Amino acid sequence: MKKILLSVFLTAGLAGRLCAAVAEDSKIFTPFFDMTMTEAGYLPSEGNIFSGANINTQVGLLSKVTQKDHIFGLYNFNYSGAGFAPQDSKQFTDRSMGHNFTIEYRRALGDKFRVRPGIAFGHDYSRSGANEAWKNGLYNMDTAGYQLAGDYMFDTEKNGIMTLTYLGKSIKFPNYTDLLREFMDPANTAAANGGLQDQNLKQVSLRSGWNNFFGGVTYTQQDYKNQKVVANTGIYGDTKQKDKTTALDFGFHHKLWVFEIYPVVSYTMHRSNQNFMRYKFLGATSTDLLNGSSDVSFIAKNYDYNETTFSVPLDLNITGKWAVGGAISMTRRAYTDRPKRDENNNYISGTEQTNLMSTLTGSIRKRINDVAMVRLFYSLVVASSNCKFEKYMPYNYTGNSFGLSYQLSY
Amino acid sequence: MKRLTLTFLALFIVKSPAFATIDWESKGMQIAGEIIANPAGFFYDFQQDLESTTPLPPGKSFGIQTGLFPTTIPMTYVNGSGKLRLHGEGRLAPGVPQVDLIGGYWDMLAAKMATKDSQTIDSAKFNGYYMGAIVSSSVSPRVRTFWGYKHSVLAAKLKFKPGEEPDFLGTKVSSFDTGFKDDFLIAGIETPKGVSKLWSMQLNYGLKTQTFSSKVSWYGKYFELGLNIFPEGVLVFHPVWNFHLNF
Repeated sequence: MKKILLSVFLTAGLAGRLCAAVAEDSKIFTPFFDMTMTEAGYLPSEGNIFSGANINTQVGLLSKVTQKDHIFGLYNFNYSGAGFAPQDSKQFTDRSMGHNFTIEYRRALGDKFRVRPGIAFGHDYSRSGANEAWKNGLYNMDTAGYQLAGDYMFDTEKNGIMTLTYLGKSIKFPNYTDLLREFMDPANTAAANGGLQDQNLKQVSLRSGWNNFFGGVTYTQQDYKNQKVVANTGIYGDTKQKDKTTALDFGFHHKLWVFEIYPVVSYTMHRSNQNFMRYKFLGATSTDLLNGSSDVSFIAKNYDYNETTFSVPLDLNITGKWAVGGAISMTRRAYTDRPKRDENNNYISGTEQTNLMSTLTGSIRKRINDVAMVRLFYSLVVASSNCKFEKYMPYNYTGNSFGLSYQLSY
Repeated sequence: MKRLTLTFLALFIVKSPAFATIDWESKGMQIAGEIIANPAGFFYDFQQDLESTTPLPPGKSFGIQTGLFPTTIPMTYVNGSGKLRLHGEGRLAPGVPQVDLIGGYWDMLAAKMATKDSQTIDSAKFNGYYMGAIVSSSVSPRVRTFWGYKHSVLAAKLKFKPGEEPDFLGTKVSSFDTGFKDDFLIAGIETPKGVSKLWSMQLNYGLKTQTFSSKVSWYGKYFELGLNIFPEGVLVFHPVWNFHLNF
């Protein structure tokens, strides 16, 4: 789920990057290339040292068919390796890899308007710490969709742009199986394997950028094709799952004397009609599902949350090549209805679960030339939560990470 | 600058309460287990260190290369690679990219010596080759992008003498006969770092096995220094040192 939302927001963010690829007047073909790679070691307060990487490669080509008609093709390879992550998102050892293609037709309507219909498709792999083959990942997914975007350009000197985008996608999880259902009813494979995660996704976003300020609002709706909502009787009803997410973000990238600052703040509201049945162990039964201390408990609106994130990176440019940087970032998620849990997996009624993850980073950056840079960094991560049940997922820990990253973009 | 760097590092690499003890024994066991589970993958990462997958510098017709570290030393991969330019950029017509053929072969010397001299190893064979093509195109006076394909093959066979089988993590290993074969796509970008010095970054992606690596390289007239990163590999970082000549 987190992965889908992340990829969706990346898509929304990518819209800005796509707009940034502008045809050079003298060329029919203008390439677009952006490669970033980060490799880091992670040392959590509990557990052993491990390493992880993040690689993002975008290669594209903008073709100027006529002065008004352009075609832009983009391939995006993304690998997200092991690493610290906000609570309730993924295990440290989970990894994912994606191949995504976008083809966009751009038609200028006068000097100020432009429309951009396009298609997108991709395949994403997932892998857990068990090191299963990539093709066997439980959350592997295929996506196919389309977009229609309209741009309004204003104040060209300061790159003013406002973009309205509609995105529709079909997402399929060919390997997904509901392990709990499979255990409880091994003969009924249709219930466990029948595309329970498959969904249609719709997204509308309105974004604007001006003078290196940017921001926008994004609304996403996920309609599950087969997954039903579990009722407070512990039985799946007839209503299909539907998730809605509204996200607002704002940021800028400015230089002031030798300082370079690029903060981003976002606020996300996620709502789902899905509920949650917590089984303390396989085969657990209970007669009082509404009691949070029972072996089986029903938690209504378990997945609804509000999340605030902000990051404030600051670089101090010592020379033209060298800079030292510092960054502070924070992700705070407050569940609207999910109670916190104690060490024994009992829900404490009258409370709400809250997670907080803060990261403090120091770095040295060397700009190799106008298209390439390298950064050496150290981060201290502090994760805290009022959820004390940590048998399967760490909620309260500190961690150190240290690594280096490269970026080459043209 | 150096003083500033050291001060900065000292500030951040202080012992904080968050530092946990590293369990090196457990980490070693994990690494050994990963090698046993996929020996071909482990040895293939070293093959990628010697594979020359950057384009020939503009104006050069052919080139030769041999990997020094970590291939020849300490892995004893005796190796040679070559590049041949089929078409110089813009020669046929403006905008037509440079096209190079690439290829190379390696053989592990230690495997041959072990077969001959070892009391425990009955036979050992570790070798591999690769071949492919690189297409490169300048997108500005300071930036060249390149795209490529390579077919890589590795054979790894090891057999211990009866009664001399070693014990790995509680399991007797008598032999393994494995290999690696895949077709890779390559995408990279190259930019000058100084006079006759270049800096490049590339991604290699195997279509069948989903093996991938990121290579960052600095190279001049004779040597290439690199940092190859295999995020899913046993040894994630491979510092690389290669020798090459281009004519």
